[in-house]
Amino acid sequence: MSMSANWPGSVKVAIKNLTFHYGNVQALKDVSLDIQSNKVTAIIGPSGCGKSTLLRVLNRIYEIYPNQRAEGEVVLDGENILSPSQDLNLLRAKVGMVFQKPTPFPMTIFDNIAFGIDLYEKLSRSEMEGRVESALRRAALWEEVKDKLTASGMSLSGGQQQRLCIARSVATKPEVILLDEPCSALDPISTAKIEELISELSLDYTIALVTHNMQQASRVSDYTAFMFLGELVEFGDTEKIFTTPSNKRTEDYITGRFG
Amino acid sequence: MFLGLSVAATAFGLGWLGIILGTLLYEGFSGIDLALFTESTPPPGEMGGLLNAIAGSLIMGTLAVAVGTPIGIMAGTYLAEYGRYSRLAFFVRFVNDILLSAPSIVIGLFIYDLMVPTLGHFSAWAGAAALTVIVILVVVRTTENMLLLIPNTLREAAVALGSTRAHVIKRVTWRAAQAGMITGVLLAVARISGETAPLLFTALGNNFWSTDLNAPMAALPLAIFQMAQSPYEDWHRLAWAGALLITLAVLVLSITARILESQPERR
Repeated sequence: MSMSANWPGSVKVAIKNLTFHYGNVQALKDVSLDIQSNKVTAIIGPSGCGKSTLLRVLNRIYEIYPNQRAEGEVVLDGENILSPSQDLNLLRAKVGMVFQKPTPFPMTIFDNIAFGIDLYEKLSRSEMEGRVESALRRAALWEEVKDKLTASGMSLSGGQQQRLCIARSVATKPEVILLDEPCSALDPISTAKIEELISELSLDYTIALVTHNMQQASRVSDYTAFMFLGELVEFGDTEKIFTTPSNKRTEDYITGRFG
Repeated sequence: MFLGLSVAATAFGLGWLGIILGTLLYEGFSGIDLALFTESTPPPGEMGGLLNAIAGSLIMGTLAVAVGTPIGIMAGTYLAEYGRYSRLAFFVRFVNDILLSAPSIVIGLFIYDLMVPTLGHFSAWAGAAALTVIVILVVVRTTENMLLLIPNTLREAAVALGSTRAHVIKRVTWRAAQAGMITGVLLAVARISGETAPLLFTALGNNFWSTDLNAPMAALPLAIFQMAQSPYEDWHRLAWAGALLITLAVLVLSITARILESQPERR
């Protein structure tokens, strides 16, 4: 299944023979996939196909719940992050995540951004102000909030909240950003802004994007993985997946025959 | 027909409530004067007030809240954040609910047995201990409930940034549940301010001014209990006034709790 050797660009995350269980239910079956550095990789598929599960393995966030386990290898920069010796805080510093529903913390806009930075760095007030500003600029939110940094993060609109979450994630200087259906709770205008942002961010970050929205995958991603019932059905250049898929099930899904 | 029955039942219930409140207001207000707050229990037939009982309630209530709140919050946090799926938490939750709905005299009896023979006498310490148990029970329940209302995605978002569980709880979930948790403490205060049974054979009551924690201490509900049973007309008046004071205090606490609860979660 792995065809990455044919493509330019280095492999940032190599997923090898990954299986995942929720208790006795198997959610991922022998998934192997290479995520390219500084590209957007979209993961599509019908509900329950395991796409979000796959994403949640990449920062091991699933571990906060009991009875969830991953087997196989996920190699990030040459190291298997599934190994028990992996420092989880270090991993999560390197791999940021943005969720389906915006998750601003119940604190000011400024403190929302500073929260993550505080975990890793002890900065002076002025250094922190600089970092917060650049993170908000990076998420295209600065102009809208620069005069109300002390307002609650929860007072922003849905689209702004989601950009706040992206800014918060970017602020800790990760290398990989996981986006789990980041636009599914947003209106079309907010969605367009986030999509534009994703394309910009991919210049500096490796992005894995789970989405329900096939148009979104085709608009913003470089590579697309199609998953079905816990298996990776097809993976390749986004353009190829959406124009000449080699698998019948992929074709059926992207043409809307099921899913 | 069904509508008629429900309305009638509601009217019946509310009617009694109205009569109780009306009587309380009518009888209570006539007993409220300056002496109520400045003088202690009078001998029958003389003028006096409830100062010793008010002070006793405040002292023991404050002790109970000061000790019970941190314990209740930490235990409630364990149940909601760490032990959500554990057997121990299931057991603790079950026992807590039983104790919470058990008659509070059981708690009084337990503390009596534990402290009064040991110390050799009734004391404010024992009274405060009994109230503390009730505060813990109430605060554990409300804290857990409020924390469970916080969506998991908020915890995940904080964990995903690389924070430890403890940091997530202290900085994010507690803050998100803040208003509800404070409401829980207020409800606990309201609950203990009216409790008589746990104090009956722990703090015992005291007709004289006393702030000695090693001695029996007066409390409003105890004073009401004692005075209402007495044959003296002026003690009855004081009992009504005391009942009105407690009711007003609980009313203020409940309204504050409601206001806090209805505030959207924000800083």
